[in-house]
Amino acid sequence: MLKSKLLFLTLILGTLSFTAFSFEETVENSVQTLLSNNKTQLDSAVKYLVETKNPNTYALIGAILEKRLYVSKTKAYTLFPGVKSYYEVYPEFKEAGSTVVGLKPMKYARKYTLAFRSLAKYTQLYTPIAQSKLNAYQRFKQSGTLEDVAFLTEQLKTESDEKVKTAGNEAIYTIWLLSGNEQLEMNALAQLGEGASDQMLDPLEQYLKKKENAPQDQSYILASELISTIQAHERFINTAQNLFSGISLGSILLLVALGLGIIYGLAGVINMSHGEFLMIGAYTTYVIQQCFISYLPASWFEGYFWVSLPLSFITAGLIGLLIERLIIRHLYNKPLESLLGTWGLSLIMIQICRSIFGDITAVKSPELLSGGIEVMDGLILPFNRLFIIGLTVFMGVLTYIVFFKSRLGVKIRAVTQNRNMSACLGISTKRIDAMTFFLGSGLAGIAGCAMTLIGNVVPNMGKTYIVDSFLIVVVGGVGKLVGIIASAMGVGVLSKIFESFYEAVYGKVIMLAIIIFFLQFKPKGLFPDKGRLSED
Amino acid sequence: MKTLIQKKYHLVFIGLFLILMPLGNLLGFVETNTMTLWGRYFCFAIAAIGIDLIWGYTGVLSMTQAFFFCLGAYGIGMYMTLSNLPDGHQLPAFMEWNQVTELPAFWAPFSSFPLAFILSLLVPALFSLIFGFFVFRSRIQGVYFAIITQALALAMFLLFSRNETMLGGTNGLTDFKYLLGFDLRETSTKLGLYFLSFIVLCLIYIYSSFLTKSKFGKGLVAIRDSESRMRFTGYGVSAYKITIFMIGSVIAAIGGMLYLPQTGIITPGRMDVQASIEMIVWVALGGRSNLKGAVLGAIVVNLLYSIFTSILPGGWLYVLGGLFVITVLYLDKGMIGLFQQIQDYIKTFFASNKNKNEEEMENEVINVSA
Repeated sequence: MLKSKLLFLTLILGTLSFTAFSFEETVENSVQTLLSNNKTQLDSAVKYLVETKNPNTYALIGAILEKRLYVSKTKAYTLFPGVKSYYEVYPEFKEAGSTVVGLKPMKYARKYTLAFRSLAKYTQLYTPIAQSKLNAYQRFKQSGTLEDVAFLTEQLKTESDEKVKTAGNEAIYTIWLLSGNEQLEMNALAQLGEGASDQMLDPLEQYLKKKENAPQDQSYILASELISTIQAHERFINTAQNLFSGISLGSILLLVALGLGIIYGLAGVINMSHGEFLMIGAYTTYVIQQCFISYLPASWFEGYFWVSLPLSFITAGLIGLLIERLIIRHLYNKPLESLLGTWGLSLIMIQICRSIFGDITAVKSPELLSGGIEVMDGLILPFNRLFIIGLTVFMGVLTYIVFFKSRLGVKIRAVTQNRNMSACLGISTKRIDAMTFFLGSGLAGIAGCAMTLIGNVVPNMGKTYIVDSFLIVVVGGVGKLVGIIASAMGVGVLSKIFESFYEAVYGKVIMLAIIIFFLQFKPKGLFPDKGRLSED
Repeated sequence: MKTLIQKKYHLVFIGLFLILMPLGNLLGFVETNTMTLWGRYFCFAIAAIGIDLIWGYTGVLSMTQAFFFCLGAYGIGMYMTLSNLPDGHQLPAFMEWNQVTELPAFWAPFSSFPLAFILSLLVPALFSLIFGFFVFRSRIQGVYFAIITQALALAMFLLFSRNETMLGGTNGLTDFKYLLGFDLRETSTKLGLYFLSFIVLCLIYIYSSFLTKSKFGKGLVAIRDSESRMRFTGYGVSAYKITIFMIGSVIAAIGGMLYLPQTGIITPGRMDVQASIEMIVWVALGGRSNLKGAVLGAIVVNLLYSIFTSILPGGWLYVLGGLFVITVLYLDKGMIGLFQQIQDYIKTFFASNKNKNEEEMENEVINVSA
């Protein structure tokens, strides 16, 4: 299709050039014709530029193709998306500062951009954005021919970014590898032997397929060795990634399970509505974000998350307190009844939330937490998940301090061990109950706030976590901080690992089987009470 | 006197549903669809009796009964799927969509009714036996058992929702026209299923009330009240629990088997975590450790559900949630207990009126002596 159009174009151009007055065709002249938008000679200029393939004009042509060309007298400029300053594209390709006087945008007819399209793979290399450049090099793996190698080598000489350089070199190796020339193939394999990125997997496999009928060749063996190294590296990256997301899942579960376990230990209440405090935390974050959007200057927007973090703790805590006073107070030491009652409560809370906020909303993550650290080639740890882990560690330490180093903690532990005795010794058990509910619900609220970083905000988001959190409490042992931490991390990591081997569903079934098996040996959890306390 | 009243309740119940309702239907007061609806309530009531045996009498809160209910329903559903295949089709439609060329081996026995019938009862029995053996053996009890069974319900719900498990995925099994040659759309079939459900409900009620009055039943109550004493006295508590868990799950499966032909569809949504907990609330609301209460609770909650979803669709979850809360806060013994309380209150009210003067005199005596 394109070819026929080009042919047609050249035909027209041919006739035109005869009728036009005599005119010496050079790159400089053609470009100036282009920039002055001289209609009579435009056709021949475009044709000339397409045919000569002069690298000096590629940046300019790229700007034309992407429809972001600005002209000032004899110079041409462009503005890359997401980049603040202008770039000069002709006569040189270089940065030109954030303001250039006398610019006017220039657009060309569709047929010219179509004509230039054949050069697109070269022009895309002219960009200051490393990622786009990298992608442009990657494209040469499919579209590159031996003729391009010289051009690519020339380009790579001035390249400073290591990743882009690797991508460029690998593009050249791929062209060699698939060229059919044995000398070049061996050359490429030798070069790749010093280190090949994951991106080389496809070309190498293609190469193997081509060589299928000669599996004894040196080159075949070399290539298959390369493939297995790359695959091993990929497996390692996957495992690391799973481990990492397992830990971050575990931390969310931990925040939920901490409150759950403490409350069950203290009051003998199975709080099925505990997941809904996670939901409350998430919706608090959403509401605060909306407030920031509508009432505060846009430059403050980034701050919303840092405001909502403490506020989601307080909101969830207060609602927890309210529910404790109104309903749960009557269900102390009746675990099964409290399980049913709080389940009903959670139904009501979800329905209220659904009628206020609708079915699905999303919170925009703050800029600061987007992106991630690249620990090694291909292994990226996203900031939001790192933040969640950090937050959990912080909250975990804080809970530990409150529990074991403060007067409140001593009282909470005392009431957990023996309610009546504590009351006799002058501890106001009611106050302690209220405080514990506040803390436990607040922890879930914080978890909800953190959840907005990695997922949507939906009314029944708490239900997704509640069953898992309860399993963690069961495995960890009721009211045992260390046990809960250990089992949350274990459950989080294991379920991510199983999910990577099997589907998520089978991962869950296997997880359950393991927990039942585990309880055969440790029916009271990881760290059971010893002595008299363990008797009911 | 008391037994007479109880018998009267039973007679009213039987008279209402076995004579009055069908008579109303015959005379045109009661629509056939309403009869089917009540037939479905009876199926739920059957499952509720199973829960009452496990939870009310033995004190073991199983949160996975909806799964056993669905096992029964799926068993019959698989038979009906295979016997209702459209002409020229070797496989159910959902399998063809998933590019399955051969009927999976575990479907094969379900092409004959007797085998499907037996398997629908045997699979839940075996499942609960194995699960119960491992869980009760390690003395997982109370809340721990509830949470483990809840996780089981969740896992099974997810498993049945998958397409690879060949059970119809989230769409479940549906599109049935005939059961054993009877056309399910015929009024006579619908009425037949209604009567069958009612009679099975009555039989299971009678069986369960014999069970609870037997020595075995007394053992169950003893386990509920003090498990350690029972164990120390030398009873095999685990065996008791496993047996009643099996009985309960089979009863739930029977409910499911009768339920499917009357709704015509079974999906994994029937067995999610919520469904099991709802079933428990039927029993809690009606009155636990009371078989009448279980039946009453199942019927009342489902009746409310039918009413509210038609007049106030958004409000049902509020009502259901409210029922949960009110039941645990105020109705410790359920509705049956409430009737008892009202009865007692009326009795004492009349009695106190009669004895008022005497009491006052007694009080005066006490005051004097003080």
